[in-house]
Amino acid sequence: MPLTGVEPARMNRKKGDKGFESPRPYKLTHQVVCINNINFQRKSVVGFVELTIFPTVANLNRIKLNSKQCRIYRVRINDLEAAFIYNDPTLEVCHSESKQRNLNYFSNAYAAAVSAVDPDAGNGELCIKVPSELWKHVDELKVLKIHINFSLDQPKGGLHFVVPSVEGSMAERGAHVFSCGYQNSTRFWFPCVDSYSELCTWKLEFTVDAAMVAVSNGDLVETVYTHDMRKKTFHYMLTIPTAASNISLAIGPFEILVDPYMHEVTHFCLPQLLPLLKHTTSYLHEVFEFYEEILTCRYPYSCFKTVFIDEAYVEVAAYASMSIFSTNLLHSAMIIDETPLTRRCLAQSLAQQFFGCFISRMSWSDEWVLKGISGYIYGLWMKKTFGVNEYRHWIKEELDKIVAYELKTGGVLLHPIFGGGKEKDNPASHLHFSIKHPHTLSWEYYSMFQCKAHLVMRLIENRISMEFMLQVFNKLLSLASTASSQKFQSHMWSQMLVSTSGFLKSISNVSGKDIQPLIKQWVDQSGVVKFYGSFAFNRKRNVLELEIKQDYTSPGTQKYVGPLKVTVQELDGSFNHTLQIEENSLKHDIPCHSKSRRNKKKKIPLMNGEEVDMDLSAMDADSPLLWIRIDPDMSVLRKVEFEQADFMWQYQLRYERDVVAQQESILALEKFPTPASRLALTDILEQEQCFYRVRMSACFCLAKIANSMVSTWTGPPAMKSLFTRMFCCKSCPNIVKTNNFMSFQSYFLQKTMPVAMALLRDVHNLCPKEVLTFILDLIKYNDNRKNKFSDNYYRAEMIDALANSVTPAVSVNNEVRTLDNLNPDVRLILEEITRFLNMEKLLPSYRHTITVRLECSGAILAHHNLHLLGSSDSPASAS
Amino acid sequence: MLQSYISEIGRSAKSYCEHTARTQPTLSDIVVTLVEMGFNVDTLPAYAKRSQRMVITAPPVTNQPVTPKALTAGQNRPHPPHIPSHFPEFPDPHTYIKTPTYREPVSDYQVLREKAASQRRDVERALTRFMAKTGETQSLFKDDVSTFPLIAARPFTIPYLTALLPSELEMQQMEETDSSEQDEQTDTENLALHISMEDSGAEKENTSVLQQNPSLSGSRNGEENIIDNPYLRPVKKPKIRRKNRHGILLCCPGWS
Repeated sequence: MPLTGVEPARMNRKKGDKGFESPRPYKLTHQVVCINNINFQRKSVVGFVELTIFPTVANLNRIKLNSKQCRIYRVRINDLEAAFIYNDPTLEVCHSESKQRNLNYFSNAYAAAVSAVDPDAGNGELCIKVPSELWKHVDELKVLKIHINFSLDQPKGGLHFVVPSVEGSMAERGAHVFSCGYQNSTRFWFPCVDSYSELCTWKLEFTVDAAMVAVSNGDLVETVYTHDMRKKTFHYMLTIPTAASNISLAIGPFEILVDPYMHEVTHFCLPQLLPLLKHTTSYLHEVFEFYEEILTCRYPYSCFKTVFIDEAYVEVAAYASMSIFSTNLLHSAMIIDETPLTRRCLAQSLAQQFFGCFISRMSWSDEWVLKGISGYIYGLWMKKTFGVNEYRHWIKEELDKIVAYELKTGGVLLHPIFGGGKEKDNPASHLHFSIKHPHTLSWEYYSMFQCKAHLVMRLIENRISMEFMLQVFNKLLSLASTASSQKFQSHMWSQMLVSTSGFLKSISNVSGKDIQPLIKQWVDQSGVVKFYGSFAFNRKRNVLELEIKQDYTSPGTQKYVGPLKVTVQELDGSFNHTLQIEENSLKHDIPCHSKSRRNKKKKIPLMNGEEVDMDLSAMDADSPLLWIRIDPDMSVLRKVEFEQADFMWQYQLRYERDVVAQQESILALEKFPTPASRLALTDILEQEQCFYRVRMSACFCLAKIANSMVSTWTGPPAMKSLFTRMFCCKSCPNIVKTNNFMSFQSYFLQKTMPVAMALLRDVHNLCPKEVLTFILDLIKYNDNRKNKFSDNYYRAEMIDALANSVTPAVSVNNEVRTLDNLNPDVRLILEEITRFLNMEKLLPSYRHTITVRLECSGAILAHHNLHLLGSSDSPASAS
Repeated sequence: MLQSYISEIGRSAKSYCEHTARTQPTLSDIVVTLVEMGFNVDTLPAYAKRSQRMVITAPPVTNQPVTPKALTAGQNRPHPPHIPSHFPEFPDPHTYIKTPTYREPVSDYQVLREKAASQRRDVERALTRFMAKTGETQSLFKDDVSTFPLIAARPFTIPYLTALLPSELEMQQMEETDSSEQDEQTDTENLALHISMEDSGAEKENTSVLQQNPSLSGSRNGEENIIDNPYLRPVKKPKIRRKNRHGILLCCPGWS
């Protein structure tokens, strides 16, 4: 039924639109949104919108718009009253008469309901009849102005009201409202064409209390008092064509901070938080500089606004020329742990300003391009800011995440093509939801989708080089910015939309390389690759016989055919081999370069040109192989399970300079609880040059190894002497030094080690007394007076350590634990916890880290059948 | 007469003795002097031996009264060089020297830390117990209220304020540390975790962007120094012609 209106539009497609077919029989050029009354008490909004549209077909008699939960009073077209029908099928997904009550039925019904109002298919909840008086006017394809009066009462989505229940006026109470929502959900707060592909210019007006500020997209043209001087109206103009889905609003008694480095950037936060805002945003200009430099393109909008609000659903939401952040991202200079996280959020939102807000997408199946590019340039920023190690670690983390998700839930498809609409063609039949619409996805699937998108962008970069990649981005941006300055009549606006095919075309234009196999593998197909590797060394032929198997039958996997890099570290140096993975070949012979020679003392060259002395006594006398890595550059979305001897893992941990390799070997060494593994891990822990995250995971691995070796373990508990040496006073080794967190690497290590140590168990599966006393001493002697940084995260880790030290008691006959049969150790721990909790109530720490951590490590209490009353309601909604 | 006679004798006797290059007059010098002055020396022995000669007895030698030295303690301090020596001497040291007496200070680091830790713990415990006693409490165990008293949790009306703003104590610390520019420098460097950003490079970029930026702000503004931000501009007064009170129509005319 809804398709009837679409067909003519396709026929009538304008030549200037270059491949983009609007699903609607009209084009939107300009929209006015005016909200003239906002009532915080009743959480309601009254206003009107006015859409200027050009019909593209002669017989246009119905206009479909998107609107949810709004009450529509009146619709007028060119000042003539128009009849309208308002129907939102998603309100009642399964009609009550339905007998089937299962997820599958619901999922199908919901997908049908969503597609019935999908703006990308030209549908909408609001169907307006063009008055018969105007039919002639329409036949001449003349402009129509649709004026809709609407109101919104207690919205359940789209706009979020925050009204604290304290005394005072709304402004004094810090009441505020902001738009929020997942994907295209602007229809929740005003009628519009809620599609990322329908661009138009905007005029936004908001009349608010005189003590409040309304922040919205585009340039603030003027602020005018109403005649009674009790309210003011903010007039915004957005001249860059923007999709309705990228329109946002935040109103509240915000404090205003003009960025000292870039005056066109303005920051807003809730009252009293200005000092934090100053510190938090002081870094933003560097992110701007970075993106503008790599994209060789100026920030597309004439201004930028950041708003920090309370009760945000997501930490970052990017809209045209403004971003809405959670107020929890604000922090003072004393907080270490939050700083990199907040900066990441800022950088992420800014990357989305270029790709996502300024450049929009043609359809849902092109979403991966935008998410991929913004994620990819955000990755470049990370590499520059936090270093290559952190970047590689992040890539590895993301890769592990997507691999774990796909293997568990099934494949994530970046570019779904829906042909025919038959059930059998459904590319995502393994999922319990439809991936046809952003609104039918599971939240987790979407975050994995984003994760995969930027990883695939990185694969493309590997293939065509970063230089070409940036050229492509620059091309997209410059085309879009030329188009954005054009008038609507030039039909250039669709160049601000990106599509998969357009993106691939400009890649092949710029680089001249064919990346079609890569796209086919990762974009058009779902699933990851699972490799199993093992090897044997053939001494006679001096050849490494590598066997690589794939599992492509289990869900979420796919077969990989193509090149695969293998790096072999031999005595004579490190050698890269590119194997061709084909259908049936499992075995690959790799010639070795070095003869095994053990007696010649010589330095061993590494991959990065470094030459090191190694103690080769551990290795196999016959083989010159030190270690082997499969796909070291992570140029396939894969999971590798590789078998090599424990000493090879140890060599890899000690001497391979790549953090990913180090982390892989730490993971592998868990299976080899030997004194040699212990030594290798301890060495890594002590090595200052080593990446701090590697050292942190070495702590946990060491604890596991120590537990496996518990009967043969000699010496003090693992890491104790190390911690003593690094962080305790020289004169009295049981007292920790007063806190000084100036060196962040050692700060993170100091935080982690006790947590890992608390995982140690003795032969009775209890935490050794020595360790518990040690942790209690750390807490007791913790002294932060001389420290420039807050120790709240450190103390929180100590609570984790305490929680880890408790072994779950086997509950006998469900006996209720009382004070009398309490283990003395547990009693000590409980005393500490009570103290922490009480102190937190008197002197709250940043984001109530300590209470929150207690909540999270509720393990202690759960194990002992304790119930911590009330701790559930205080832990600060701010966390 | 007699006096001048005697002094004349002395004077000339000295002259005679000096004449012969001596400093101490001898008997012979006096004899010569007497002869010179016309005194018959030979009559002297006869005069000395006369019978009725008056003998003047020597005055009785009395012991000088000794001033008691009982109160001197220690050596008087000599004058420091800037005080002329004619000034009175310093009084006895005991009148001005003070000798503070104290116990041997505890300098053992371990004990100090121990003490600081337990002191703080005691203060905290006392405070929290007090708060728990005076206010509402919750407990970990159903049956026992007193062993692990927890101050009752009270939801905050504006939770983000207490959660985000540093406490007064921390603020103080921050001000102390912020005063040193050096620290600030290392702080920002450190925040990039472990990569040192090239400061000079960053600064260069800074300036270049600042120069670019005026193209935007400057186009509206003309002057770089004054921040022209639309949010800082004064709010305009409503135009008088907008007098009709229909909310919707109020905004329309400007835009349609």
